[in-house]
This record gives sequence, C-alpha cells and structure tokens, in this order.
Amino acid sequence: MTFALNRADSVILIATLALLAFLYIRFWGDATQGEQARILVGGKEFSVVSLYKDQRLRIPGTLGVSEIEIRAGKIRFIDSPCHGKQCIHTGWLTLGGEVAACLPNRITVQVLGREPRFDAINF
Amino acid sequence: MPAFTTTRDDHLIAWLTALAVCIHIVESVLPSPLPGIKPGLANVVTIAVLVRYGWRMAAWVTLLRVLVGSLLLGSFLSPTFILSLSGALCGIVALGAARALSPCLPGAELSALGYSMLAALAHMAGQFFVAYALFIPHPALLHLLPVLMTAALLFGLVSGRVAQALLDRVT
Repeated sequence: MTFALNRADSVILIATLALLAFLYIRFWGDATQGEQARILVGGKEFSVVSLYKDQRLRIPGTLGVSEIEIRAGKIRFIDSPCHGKQCIHTGWLTLGGEVAACLPNRITVQVLGREPRFDAINF
Repeated sequence: MPAFTTTRDDHLIAWLTALAVCIHIVESVLPSPLPGIKPGLANVVTIAVLVRYGWRMAAWVTLLRVLVGSLLLGSFLSPTFILSLSGALCGIVALGAARALSPCLPGAELSALGYSMLAALAHMAGQFFVAYALFIPHPALLHLLPVLMTAALLFGLVSGRVAQALLDRVT
C-alpha cells in the first residue's frame, strides 16, 4: 500500500505531526507512579482514595452503581451499569494522569500524579 | 399519497448513505482498544463522495449516516449519538473550509488522503471537546487527547487510502 501525498496533503501531515508533538509534550510531560486517585461523579469530586489501601468501592452514578477495585497501587473499574463497558476495558490505571471514565454513568477515575509546581507564572 | 419528486442526486444520496450506514453498523461491532478510538471506515464514503460529487452531497451522506446509524443501533439522542454527531459536524465543516480555501492557496488541491486526515482530526477534536464540555469537564481527560489525535491521524490516513483506491476503481 502506497500513500501518494501531494503537496497540500504533506502540509496537512506536517502540521498534524507538529500538533501531536505539542500535545504529547503538553499533556504527557510528567508520567510518574500515582499514589492517589480522584473519583468524580457527574463532574463533582466524590472522593480521593489511596492506591495503597486495597479495597473495593461501590460508587453511585447516574445509571446505577459502578464498582471500582484498588489493589497494590493500581485502580480499575470492575463493574458498571453501562452499555459499552469501556471503563472496564480500560483496565488497570497506575500512572499519574491516567484516566478511566464511564461516560454513561458519569463516573471518572483519575490517578493523581506529581502536582505541577506552578499553575501559572507572571512577570 | 402526496407526490414526491426526487432528483438523481436524492437517489445517489440515499444509496451512498445506505452504504455508509452498513459500514457504520458493521464497525460498531468491532471491539475498540481504547474508548473513543475506532477506525471510522464509514468516512471512506464521505471522502469518496466529497471528491467525486462535492461537499453538499458529502454533508448529506454523513449527517444522514449518523442519524440512521444511531436509530438502527438504538443510540439516538444518547451521549454516543451526541458525540458522533458533533464529530461528524466538525469533520464536515473542516472539509467545507478546506474546499472553500483551496482555490486561494497555491499548489495542488488536497487529495482524498489529505481530506481524510483533516476530517478525521477535526472529527476527533470536535468529539473530544464536546465530551469534555458536556460530560466530563475535567482536565484529566486532556491526557487522552494526544493518543486520540494520533489514532485519528493513522485512521484518517488509512481511510483516505481506501477512499483513494475506491475512487481509482470507479473513475
């Protein structure tokens, strides 16, 4: 399979690659082992849990109860009343910034990484 | 019965939409490695229609595909549908803009590959920001953006190549 890009196509491709490089640097700058996870329900914080206390949580969402398991520094969805089960297929999360979300049930699990040192710098 | 008159374009739109809907539905059965990532092969039809019949037809076929596909899959008006529709709208707008701007720019017009990349990226970006704004307004979601956009670029290239192969055969 050959990809015959003309000049206009190449411009799009190069611009996209530059955009991707920017996105990776911007959003993946710090990936370290997370210690805590934040659980959000409907955009509001539900709780912040330690990843080193093994437990199973039952979180009430919009559709019903989602079950979340924490074991040995990792966290995952093990059950959710949604259709696609994409939250479960996301699997274990462990690095800071990693996210699993159940959109239909409005539940998000986010591993908290190293906090950024500054929110903004002004001169 | 009221008499409807349909034009040749209407028939073409209907046929092409049916084709796109089939692809859309077959694809919805495939498992996805990550939420939000799927090949979007139905967009092959959009791109092929755009190149061969122009933007208006491509917009019809794409929006009807999202509507009919969601009715058949039972996701009409669900979050999935809203995301799908916002992605499709952004893709169509980006294609329209690229079409409108191409006479102003020097050099060749975009080929199916370029249109497909552009549409896939616009689709993903639009969908992502609607998901962010409506469903999970949390900065953590932004960590997924680089991966999602990379996937969009790759799948855009693949769909574009398929559209090009298709166009080579029909013209």
